[in-house]
Amino acid sequence: METLLSLLHGFTVALEPSKLLFCLIGVFLGTAVGVLPGIGPALTVALLLPVTFKLDPAGSLIMFAGIYYGGMYGGSTTAILLNAPGESASLATALEGSKMAKAGRGGPALATSAIGSFVAGLIATIGLAFLAPWLVEVAVKFGPWDYFALMIVAFVTVSATFGDSPLRGLTSLFIGIALGLIGIDKLTGQARLTFGVPELLNGVEVTTLAVGLFAVGEAFYVASKRSHAPEEIIPIKGSLWMTKEDWKRSWAPWLRGTAFGFPIGALPAGGAEVPTFLSYSTEKRLCKYPDEFGKGAIEGVAGPEAANNASAAGTLVPLLTLGLPTSATAAIMLAGFQQYGLNPGPLLFAEKPDLVWGLIASLFIANVMLVILNLPLIGLWVRLLAIPQPWLYAGIVVFATMGTLAVNGSPVELAMLFIFGFIGYLMRRYDYPVAPMVVGLILGPMAEQQLRRALQISLGDPMILLENPISATLLGIAALALIAPFAMKGLNRFKASED
Amino acid sequence: MTNETRTQGADKPALIVGVLLLIVAALIGYDASQQTITSNYGVGPTAMPYVVAAGLTILGLAHFVVAFREGLPKPDAADGTALLWIAGGLIFLIACIGLGGGFVIAIAVVFACTARGMGRRALAVDAAIGFVLGLAIFLVFAKVLTLILPAGPLEQLFL
Amino acid sequence: MLTSVLKRGALAAVALAALSTAAFAQVSELKIMAPAAPGGGWDGTARSMQQALTAAGIVKSVQVNNVTGAGGTIGLSQLIGAKGDGHQLMVNGFVMVGAILLNKSPVNLTQVTPIARLTAEAEVIVVPTESPLKSAKDLAERLKADPAKVTWAGGSAGGTDHILAALFAQAVGADAKKINYIPFSGGGEALAAMLGGRVTAGVSGYGEFEGQIKAGKLRVLAVSSGKRLENAPDAPTLKEQGIELELLNWRSVVAPPGLSAEQTKALTDTVEKMVKSKEWQEILKARGWDDSFLAGAAFDSFLKGEIERVSKVMTEVGLVK
Repeated sequence: METLLSLLHGFTVALEPSKLLFCLIGVFLGTAVGVLPGIGPALTVALLLPVTFKLDPAGSLIMFAGIYYGGMYGGSTTAILLNAPGESASLATALEGSKMAKAGRGGPALATSAIGSFVAGLIATIGLAFLAPWLVEVAVKFGPWDYFALMIVAFVTVSATFGDSPLRGLTSLFIGIALGLIGIDKLTGQARLTFGVPELLNGVEVTTLAVGLFAVGEAFYVASKRSHAPEEIIPIKGSLWMTKEDWKRSWAPWLRGTAFGFPIGALPAGGAEVPTFLSYSTEKRLCKYPDEFGKGAIEGVAGPEAANNASAAGTLVPLLTLGLPTSATAAIMLAGFQQYGLNPGPLLFAEKPDLVWGLIASLFIANVMLVILNLPLIGLWVRLLAIPQPWLYAGIVVFATMGTLAVNGSPVELAMLFIFGFIGYLMRRYDYPVAPMVVGLILGPMAEQQLRRALQISLGDPMILLENPISATLLGIAALALIAPFAMKGLNRFKASED
Repeated sequence: MTNETRTQGADKPALIVGVLLLIVAALIGYDASQQTITSNYGVGPTAMPYVVAAGLTILGLAHFVVAFREGLPKPDAADGTALLWIAGGLIFLIACIGLGGGFVIAIAVVFACTARGMGRRALAVDAAIGFVLGLAIFLVFAKVLTLILPAGPLEQLFL
Repeated sequence: MLTSVLKRGALAAVALAALSTAAFAQVSELKIMAPAAPGGGWDGTARSMQQALTAAGIVKSVQVNNVTGAGGTIGLSQLIGAKGDGHQLMVNGFVMVGAILLNKSPVNLTQVTPIARLTAEAEVIVVPTESPLKSAKDLAERLKADPAKVTWAGGSAGGTDHILAALFAQAVGADAKKINYIPFSGGGEALAAMLGGRVTAGVSGYGEFEGQIKAGKLRVLAVSSGKRLENAPDAPTLKEQGIELELLNWRSVVAPPGLSAEQTKALTDTVEKMVKSKEWQEILKARGWDDSFLAGAAFDSFLKGEIERVSKVMTEVGLVK
């Protein structure tokens, strides 16, 4: 009840015209930069920090929050339309979304992602307002062993992206994990697999690999086939808007995606990638039309996109309640708080309730603004696909290059983009799935670091993984998920032989 | 390894992938063996590389098996010229940025070459479009985001 | 938040410079390189300098460019390549000293022209409030008894936090080689590990832990500065507790090598003018950075001392072989 009153009070702050204006600027900027690969909300807020420090604290924090949510919306647009996931969290969205776009269903894909983001953002922000103090208690209990077990669960579910050959899927995954080894080992500061090239010390950038494999690789592939089997892109087929069927198939993935995204996002080392992978594979398993997966199933866009946005709200839980920045954007937002002499944490709720609750209320408003801003834009975005194919792909390659250069303007990084692009082409040619490689690059280093931290704390005793209830449970789930498909198959065969 | 009756031999692409995987595995194993600093507690920085190298070795061997059985999916014919155009554009881009030629020219060439690879035959027009696009991107980054993309002599005129 | 030594040094340097230079030499345009991705600490410093320099009208045109990679050493080698360019500065800091050693970088900080130290932040050693450890002495005893059982949470391997933990072990007579230091990515994760009670002690810049310290969830065992911090007057220094150790996480600017005396002076004057400007002071306040301006020969010898100290401890801990 008290929370509700505080929240209502927050709305009176957030609905002041000046705050609304800040919020609008924020969501607009966020959407704009989210569309650019490589330029995420973290960078935007960082670049704006010096400009804003003379502004009113509540106003600029509301603007930052708008950028954050807006960036999450914008990221899915390029993933769906151009098959260029600008950040690791929209990788799963690109898998089905880009297939839908090419089949003329870009409109419904963008719509389900926008509405899914809205629904997820709404539920997760309610969660943030009411469950934050309780959730954070659980979240800090997560130790390195628990994170490791969570990564294992995520690894097991990756098989959903394997396509029809486990061998080729596993090969792709292992190459990704191998790429993750490149660079400085976080726990000892040692260089691994850098072969004396200093540019490799920072490791392989996820966006470089993802954009290279997805966007550049696709350009190579389409060009190589053009003379005998030209690719057909249909800008719009059927309705631009979601059909009744689309709605029916989207609502449950939205909710499930939120259920993955919010709690995992609230974990200090949870991140946005793991919930999107979990959501993708869950939807693939539950979908009534499993054949459509890989060809543009709407569930595969609705779920991960909701998970992505819910995790963004989840990240704000440890940030606001404990002052724990758990993502790059949250870290920058923390710097934003600190430049006004504010320290997020339990005290902030007591000392500056206007500001905190005004911020939370403005998240609701940002969410509404975003859906209003994004839905009419869909018609405009989809028209991008009507650009003549040579220009469209030339533009995609330019876009990919620009994103890489903005983050790291070295020729070595560009050379990697080119090589990954060519590998992506060869993989398409011989029917190797590309997504597991990116997943391996994301999850591999996370799993390794958490396992090594766990073993460092336990002084080398591996039993620590089974002694803790959370990690033991998660490992159990992973084992079940691994065995279940085989067991089912065996059971089916057994039944079949009985008939 | 198993199918001795097939005389026309193994599937070449699968064999090549298998060999490449073994080479990568050997590289990773070698690199790990050269590490001098280890952790005091728990497992060190070499454990994961060895696991990955072992996994890649198994996958490499599995590719050999596949090579002698069904092989990799047979791809369609590829248009080499188109690939060369796009690759050429990207290589020019890397060289241009590396040698300080700047972002705008690099983008103009990449745009034109990719469009050519996709079947357009109007290099000059496309280069002009790419030039305008590159300049617009450069200016937006420099003026709005205060991020300076790689600048050559041309870009210096606008800063 | 500053040590008195630093403050006096800075004041003296300012006074000296003011006496010796009737008129400031001018630099009309300036490039500031942040040898890290946009958004990080060094980038923030570079962009704040840009803001202060232009707003105060000291330099007409200031450009910030980012050169990412390898703990800043890629940027460093580029700076060294720009020999004789008197219109360029690079932001760097304590962390770069360790990164150079760790990455076996072919270039190092003795090859550049040092200009000035700008800011410094004290480090803190904290424990969860429920911890039985009450002082740095308690921690020292525990560490001497069994270094394996004392787990430290902090930032990246070879970074400021790690070096402080190693220096602490050395200073109290424990085996620095055996410390069980667990690097976390970013202050947030290390903080979560502390709050979850999974590690013995945490090391970080004061700012990152401030909220939790004030909320009573973390107890400060010691601050690493020479004097108590203004905003945490209850937290004792290491020296007060009989541990001879002082460490500050500083940030500075350096220029390319091969500058003439006039070029060096022009750059130093420009930076000094900026440090004294109202605009810079406002930024410092807003960002919570402490002024620790030090220029000229004093900064030169300070930098040399830090390089020596860090390479010694990193070799002893076994981070560098």
